[in-house]
Amino acid sequence: MDESRFQEIIHNHPRPLIVDFWAGWCMPCRAMEPALKRVEKEFAGRVDLLRIDADQSPELLSSLRIFGIPTLVVYHGGREVARQTGAQNEAGIHRLFEAALAGQLTGPAPLSPVERTVRLVAGLGLIGLGLTLSGGWVWIGLGALVSFLAVYDRCPIWRAVTSWLKGRLAN
Amino acid sequence: MSWVNEANWDRIARVVLGLVLLYLGWSGVVGGGLGTVLKVLGFVPLLTGLIGWCPLYSLLKFRTN
Repeated sequence: MDESRFQEIIHNHPRPLIVDFWAGWCMPCRAMEPALKRVEKEFAGRVDLLRIDADQSPELLSSLRIFGIPTLVVYHGGREVARQTGAQNEAGIHRLFEAALAGQLTGPAPLSPVERTVRLVAGLGLIGLGLTLSGGWVWIGLGALVSFLAVYDRCPIWRAVTSWLKGRLAN
Repeated sequence: MSWVNEANWDRIARVVLGLVLLYLGWSGVVGGGLGTVLKVLGFVPLLTGLIGWCPLYSLLKFRTN
């Protein structure tokens, strides 16, 4: 697909659009595909998905400054509102579809299960270290902080505080 | 994220290794100069495992993921 055709699609499309730049040889693209299809189905009729084979449109990728695949680019009203490069989990894809509907990216990026596990192991390990050492309150505090970083995106108090702060800073 | 250069198993192994080294150093199981070294050295795998990026891998242009 050439750039003029692409711009025509983006500007004349009646609904928010997510463009998936992929390739058949790209393993992360294939890994992400089932989740992408599930979310596409969930948003059917509200957000459309356009898949572009990166190998067939190298000039388009270059003009859009896309240097890696998979890349998902979110368009709302003909304007790019978000993009993500690299395989996304279902929660991450869902967030992009919501961004397409809202016209902007909202909320923190969800942590991957591995990221969450690493932080929890480290945090609980530090708390354990603090419990075995005499005067280990610093370790326990550090462990609590790292453990919180594993779940902060699911904490309603954190969400309320950050949205309040964003509101204050915006005014 | 593109800057992450450690595989999942690498990250978890580093976090566990860091915690073990910190325990050995700070609990006094290993004393003397080596114990002091472990007290500091334990933070290196712990932090590199937590962030998923190893500066040595970057220097050597190596990655496990």
